[in-house]
Amino acid sequence: MSQAYRESLWLFAVTQALHLVAVSGFVGAILIVDLGLLGWGPARQSRAGIARSAQRILLWTGPAVLVTGIPQFTTNALRYYASPVFAIKMGLLAAALVFTVTLRRRVAAADGDRMPSWVPKAVGAISLALWMGVTIGGRWIGFAE
Amino acid sequence: MPSILPALEWLEGLAWTTAIRESNLGYPIMETSHVACIVAFAGLVMVMDLRFVGLAFAHTPLTRIQRPLFRWQMAWFFLSSATGLLLFVVDPLRYYGNIFFRVKLVLLALAGLNALGFHLATFRSVARWDEDRLVPATARLAGAASLLLWSAIIVSGRLIAYNWFD
Repeated sequence: MSQAYRESLWLFAVTQALHLVAVSGFVGAILIVDLGLLGWGPARQSRAGIARSAQRILLWTGPAVLVTGIPQFTTNALRYYASPVFAIKMGLLAAALVFTVTLRRRVAAADGDRMPSWVPKAVGAISLALWMGVTIGGRWIGFAE
Repeated sequence: MPSILPALEWLEGLAWTTAIRESNLGYPIMETSHVACIVAFAGLVMVMDLRFVGLAFAHTPLTRIQRPLFRWQMAWFFLSSATGLLLFVVDPLRYYGNIFFRVKLVLLALAGLNALGFHLATFRSVARWDEDRLVPATARLAGAASLLLWSAIIVSGRLIAYNWFD
């Protein structure tokens, strides 16, 4: 029995570690576009092409984030259910997802000349704040017993 | 060979490291900052690496990805290192003997050498292949090594929390 417990602890630890790798790839594909929107990243003429390619990275790493994230919830479902930090993370995640597939996607795909310059800047800043908030919330779940 | 253990014991005994170590919020704040900085840093490195290995941004010249990201990668790396160093200094004996901590340090050195070697060698001729979808084999190799090494660094860093072999 202790052997089985240790093995499942291994599995849990490795799942967490791979979750972090997948999250890094996902957040990297978010950041490269957000930095461009803020005017601090790749130049404007490459922005729409980079956003298209970054979206493909999101579509590959997103499922990896889910596959490694959901088992962590199911093994501790009751604890997570009662955790306010978990609820905050999931709220931020929902907001970040909705924002990313609606407003952010439109602005990132536009060439930038047809809108006031504050629009991409605001969208980049909001996206950056939401996704970093999800990341920070995710780590903090482990400290909020 | 002189042991560094006395130095680590001295560090651990300092008033300020003891105060942070024994506070409730010290470790969670340092650790969460460390993880957030690493995710931002490794994320920006890995998406750039995907351009090198030919899996993303194929239609964008490589330096249009690499140049503007470089200062952000450096900034996030500095913050990751600073928070990581603080975590170690505050509780050195916890990490010193940990196998995953030692593996992580070796992998960090390898990742640094990989990046440095690439910048000093292959990257010098980037003007000749900047727009190529398929970059030279040495550049692809450096990108693949970077992807693997940073992933392994994240994994070993997470596993430090599990002191199975202490």
